[in-house]
Amino acid sequence: MNDVSVHFEGVSKIYPHFTLDDLSLELPTGTIMGLIGANGAGKSTTIRILMGLVHQDRGLVHVLGREMPREQAAAKLDIGFVSEDMRLYGSATLAWHMNFVRSIYPQWDQPYAETLLRRFDLKPRQKIKGLSHGQRVKAALLLALARRPRLLVLDEPTTGLDPVARQEVLGELMAVLADEDRTILFSSHNTLDVEQISDQITFIDRGRIIASDNKEVFLDRWRRLRLVLSPEADLPSLPGVVEIGGSGRLPVLVTNRFDPAMVSACNDAGATVQAVDPMTLEEIFVVNVHSRREKQTV
Amino acid sequence: MHSDLVISQTDGRPMYLQIMEQIRQRIAVGDWEQGKEIPSIRQLAVSLRVSVITVKRAYMELERDGIIVTQQGKGSIVASDPKLGAKLYDQELDKHIDRVAQLGELLGLTPKELASRVREASDRLTKEYS
Amino acid sequence: MNYAMVKRLILKDWYLQRWAILASLAGVVATLGIIATGGKVAFLLGLILLITVIIAIGAQMAVSTIVTERKEQTLPFVMSLPISYREYTASKIWGNLLIFLVPWLTMVLGSFGLLLLSPSSRGLLPYAAIMSTEILLSTCLILALALITESQGWTVAAIMAGNLAVNGIGYVVAHIPGIAKGMWGSTIQWSGAASAVLLAEFTTIALLLGLTFFVQAKKNDFL
Repeated sequence: MNDVSVHFEGVSKIYPHFTLDDLSLELPTGTIMGLIGANGAGKSTTIRILMGLVHQDRGLVHVLGREMPREQAAAKLDIGFVSEDMRLYGSATLAWHMNFVRSIYPQWDQPYAETLLRRFDLKPRQKIKGLSHGQRVKAALLLALARRPRLLVLDEPTTGLDPVARQEVLGELMAVLADEDRTILFSSHNTLDVEQISDQITFIDRGRIIASDNKEVFLDRWRRLRLVLSPEADLPSLPGVVEIGGSGRLPVLVTNRFDPAMVSACNDAGATVQAVDPMTLEEIFVVNVHSRREKQTV
Repeated sequence: MHSDLVISQTDGRPMYLQIMEQIRQRIAVGDWEQGKEIPSIRQLAVSLRVSVITVKRAYMELERDGIIVTQQGKGSIVASDPKLGAKLYDQELDKHIDRVAQLGELLGLTPKELASRVREASDRLTKEYS
Repeated sequence: MNYAMVKRLILKDWYLQRWAILASLAGVVATLGIIATGGKVAFLLGLILLITVIIAIGAQMAVSTIVTERKEQTLPFVMSLPISYREYTASKIWGNLLIFLVPWLTMVLGSFGLLLLSPSSRGLLPYAAIMSTEILLSTCLILALALITESQGWTVAAIMAGNLAVNGIGYVVAHIPGIAKGMWGSTIQWSGAASAVLLAEFTTIALLLGLTFFVQAKKNDFL
């Protein structure tokens, strides 16, 4: 058994108007990684390279121990893939799709597929073209989940789903993780989903990874500090300051290396710490993107 | 295994803290008995729909506090410390006292004034029960 | 090459196209019926209809199994299966050609039979063989362009070019002296020119298919 399910090393892909630049990342088996990025940041390209559908210009990609794209056929036998731009055949029924996929994957789990049909409230005799958007997404997920893949790769799985369907989908993803040999990589611009269920989080912007870490580390180290400076005091220099806002004597700092000792250090320097706010993943992501972009333009 | 823990998205505190607090409560009131097995990290993560790493963190901190014991490969049990209930209430008390101290500072009370207010409260309670 | 997978993909396309396939076969049988009535007008009309139906089948299959699959975004679903570009390409080429061969062979055997039955038209047989092969060639051209360019525009262009080629080559071949000489006779006069044209057609078909596999193998991006 491999300890690492997905391994990217120095992966680049150059398009006329977009470059994926020197991407390296590692996804340990048994974890969920959330890939967060704005539209056009490179999430889909990354996932397509992972699946062997797009060939990298440089760098090494290994998925479940297989070299991509060369061994994609073998790797895909153990991957369940659903992407936002994936459609099923409109003129065929869900039951036909299930039989088709079942004929290909020896590990297809029919009782589980039937459980999912009920749980997702899907009718197998219905033609795909008669389904709503949410039902189509759930149908595609069913086909991916019931193969019992070792790796699930989901490009924007919850986009356009209503809240009930979203929770159903997230619940099924978590249920997959009950088996610690299974791994999930999913991309989303909904940071709430990612924050809820991910172990590892990777921020991607303009074709580069700008941060990749375990979620608790993100949530622990990022803080917004609201200070009150005494008239004669200068802004104390703190480690890991990513953004300075606020005004004059009421500065607001964002740091990515927060430590409780910081508070007393500030107080000693004549800056009273009014509040230490934890930040949501969305706030962390936005500040991160802004500060990187500013550095790039300087 | 179904757990009856509830994670709130609007609760400002991190999810791992919410999990810790609810487990503490369940142990304090005796719902989860000493020496008994509690859900595994993965089981709890799946039933709460939160990431494994979040539950793992809550369990690690609970273990550091001596509230649960995790055995490699065997899952976790509630620590069989006879004074555990008392200890948990003690921790709870500490938290409230911290809050009292904060509010006192906000109102500009001296520690002495604060102490006398606590004594008054205590006296009131004794009278009610006598 | 995973042949079991190629077979599944072919059967999948046939299942999804089953009504179109059945309809076109019915069309072929109907036009052969018109030809079989024996009148000269019916013969010409039937022949034109037959050629039109056959070309339409090839074009329709290429468009709906290749171009539409991309346009309607069912391609990512296919490519999520344990296959590489080679299996995908092989399934499209063989799946389309095999389906096409059914009406095509029906047309070849049917028209050869009719030509042989009436003594006055036997001399047309070499010409008919060349033109049948040219229709097969046109279909391969459409298939190759649909796969290589993945674009609807180019595929439509290929359909038009294939259609024009049938007419153009039909005219040119009919005026090659060796072939033209015995065309309206009552005996089959197989000429060196006819063999050369047939050989050229089959070579072109082989080259087209080989080139398609080659270009597909060089492609880096699927989606």
